[in-house]
Amino acid sequence: MTHMRNLQRSVVLVPVAILALALFVGVSGCAPKEPAVTGETLSIVIDCEANRKDEAEAVASQLRNIGIQAEARTWEWSAMKAEFMEGNRQLYMTDWGSSYFDPFDLAIPKLATGERGNYSFYSNPEVDDLLSQATSATDDETRKALYFEVQDIIYKDCPWVFGYCLEETAAASTKVGGWRVSMDSRINLHDVTVEGTGTIKIGLGIDKIVTMDPGNYRDRDTETVIRNVFDALVTRTWDGEVIPEIAESWETPDPTTYVFKIREGIKFHNGEALDADDVVFTFERILQENGIGGQTSPRLGLLGPLASVVKNDDYTVTFTLENPFPVFPQALCHFQIVPKDYVTEVGDAGFAEKPVGAGPFMFKEGRLDDQVVLTRFEDYYGGAPDLPPVGPARIDTVVFRMMPDPATRVAALKAGEIHIADKLPPDMADSLSGDPNAKVESVPGTRTYGIEFCLTKPPFDDVKVRQALNHAIDWDTIIATIYGGKATRLSTAFIPSGFGYNHDLKPYEYDPAKAVELLREAGFNVSLPTE
Amino acid sequence: MRGVKILERALAALPIMLGVCIVVFLFMRLLPGDPVDIMLGEASNVTQEEIDALRSQFNLDDPLHVQLASYLMRVLKGDLGYSISRSSNVGKLLLEALPATVELALAAILIALAVAVPLGIITAVKHKSLIDRSSMACSFLGISMPAFWLGIVLILIFSVHLKWLPTSGRATYGLVPSHVTGFYVLDSILTGNLPALKDSLRHLVLPSIALGAAPAAVITRIIRSSMLETLRKDYVTYARAKGVAEWAVIIKHAFRNALIPAVTVTGLEIGGLLGGNMVVETIFGWPGMGRLVVDGIFSRDYSLVQGAVMVYGLTFVTVNLIADILYTWLNPKLVVGEKV
Repeated sequence: MTHMRNLQRSVVLVPVAILALALFVGVSGCAPKEPAVTGETLSIVIDCEANRKDEAEAVASQLRNIGIQAEARTWEWSAMKAEFMEGNRQLYMTDWGSSYFDPFDLAIPKLATGERGNYSFYSNPEVDDLLSQATSATDDETRKALYFEVQDIIYKDCPWVFGYCLEETAAASTKVGGWRVSMDSRINLHDVTVEGTGTIKIGLGIDKIVTMDPGNYRDRDTETVIRNVFDALVTRTWDGEVIPEIAESWETPDPTTYVFKIREGIKFHNGEALDADDVVFTFERILQENGIGGQTSPRLGLLGPLASVVKNDDYTVTFTLENPFPVFPQALCHFQIVPKDYVTEVGDAGFAEKPVGAGPFMFKEGRLDDQVVLTRFEDYYGGAPDLPPVGPARIDTVVFRMMPDPATRVAALKAGEIHIADKLPPDMADSLSGDPNAKVESVPGTRTYGIEFCLTKPPFDDVKVRQALNHAIDWDTIIATIYGGKATRLSTAFIPSGFGYNHDLKPYEYDPAKAVELLREAGFNVSLPTE
Repeated sequence: MRGVKILERALAALPIMLGVCIVVFLFMRLLPGDPVDIMLGEASNVTQEEIDALRSQFNLDDPLHVQLASYLMRVLKGDLGYSISRSSNVGKLLLEALPATVELALAAILIALAVAVPLGIITAVKHKSLIDRSSMACSFLGISMPAFWLGIVLILIFSVHLKWLPTSGRATYGLVPSHVTGFYVLDSILTGNLPALKDSLRHLVLPSIALGAAPAAVITRIIRSSMLETLRKDYVTYARAKGVAEWAVIIKHAFRNALIPAVTVTGLEIGGLLGGNMVVETIFGWPGMGRLVVDGIFSRDYSLVQGAVMVYGLTFVTVNLIADILYTWLNPKLVVGEKV
């Protein structure tokens, strides 16, 4: 009988307890998403993706040190973005890469009013105006001065907690010669040699490349492979300077016109000669709506204000822009020339399946999520004359292997299965530093990492709070401990490898006392660290 | 009679598949994030018109029920749609990834059974002996070890230090067999390519051990406990009393009857393995379904994920059906479709 009663009681109690628990979880889960400015205590949630969790925890702990209630929360990127774009979050860790070595594809998308990458909702008409002037100004000195002005303003406005620029790190076997890590993720295999073999194997840190069609991708990893099979009108030196490749030279008779002279005698892998028709065709299939396999090229936006491409004669082409766009030559480094006759003959799908380019290597076989094999093109015209060595590639076979796990890439390099291990996180690079058969190299990256504020809501609509947080975080320690020192601190959202970076503008100093002072002025109850 | 039952079960799979299709379709769209936005990545200079044009190109601007109806119509015609993140046909992508995953799953389950069956029997027969206790400790380890850790340890020992086996990938360049079925081992046998066969098998060893360790441990435990139970049954004592040889008692009388729960668990394990294991595939650079689907989810590649989950659904239904048929073979008293 007692048993029965106990049972009955628990039958009632268990659902009640579950309901209470559910209510509790529900209420805490639905807590107001707005910054909780309770009393005078500043309470912050820092959102991040899993790869920056340690960093977010470190930041939270430094903020707690001055009496801010701070915690870190990990998200999946798209879910986090959907939330902060609704204005529902406070402080979120983001990053953004530049392909053009110019603020054009960094400062503008991140800071101009209403732009795609402007996650902080920053809006300053003065900055908008300066950026717009800088985009179309034709003289480098003027552009630089304009960008300097922008940096001064955003330094004071602090739309983000300005962070750092991570270095690009990769490793290679000591048998590999002529190899360098490139700032723009390019792996230039034309100049590379491997002691004792004609085959080089590269472990790429990705799941897959998207396509072998240079007109139909948007990511850098795909470009890494494609740029060994296809060449562009121009390319970059290791320092980021634009130099002729398939083009022999170019002129800009006025700021909206570019006339390119094409090198004669260049052949595609199928023997077809490369001339003005191929160049015009390459750009037209991107400019044209539904131009590739019935779909519009995802690369269209990268061409900026390009209005038309016209053939003047067999080896001269004129590009006309709607308005001045000084980074146009930089953009052209990313548009590889495709053979018109071949693409027309086999169709877009057929071309992606069996690509033919004018680059140093020919596509042999492969699967985009497994391995892609290239072989040397004997009739290669040699590449950019300003970027020696010039001539056919020095190795005869290239195998790109998709190896998404960094530990496996390092193991494969140690086991001698691959010669180059791309994209290594700092801890993995460290594990190779004692290996006599491997060399690790780093170059400054082109990606800025920071923490963006939601500027439309309190407390971060107050510039004092934003400046305070810039003083409150000890980035040097974070960079040294979490990123093995392989990062450069940034004074604003501009990066040192890009055009117009003001090296004299020093990053915010770590100064908890100053942070506390500013927060107190903003009306918050904070305290200096006790230690 | 049995044929009719099997056909009935197969037909019952159709509404299940339709349900799977609709649920996945709706769940994918519940996820925050927009496929076009993800595809454009950090593209600057993108106008709203461009985004709208892309959305309409992929039919993402239609109302949900219209999208669902047109998707179901296309599926009925055998068209699984276009993958936004991989600029390719979903059917083609799945056909490429599936053989890699199935090959690995079968190898893993073969390894698991090769370990589990003898070990399960021995540990039951030699109950409470040293071999029983140490096997159970090992199986405990097998269940607890995460696949990513085991995978890395196997690579470090067998590839980096001993250099016996390759670290990752499905085949060495130059030794990829000509395409017949997409299963490298089978293809190399069919084309009589011995070096390719050896190479594919070498590539299979480590990932299938990493993947098969946990199922091996689970199946060993199931066989052991079910053998222990059967060995105590009257008919086993009777068989022994009749003077039947001990090995025949164990294999013919006890093991066959002890197999039914093992078949159930093995069926479930195979079903799980055939879905592809993202962790093992990532560590071993194995181009299979697990990586494809997880990447598809992150890029909100609706068609790709929907297509893949349909394949999973079909796989589970088929594996369950096969397990059902096996039950009736093991125990003729049972009828296909009845609960065991």
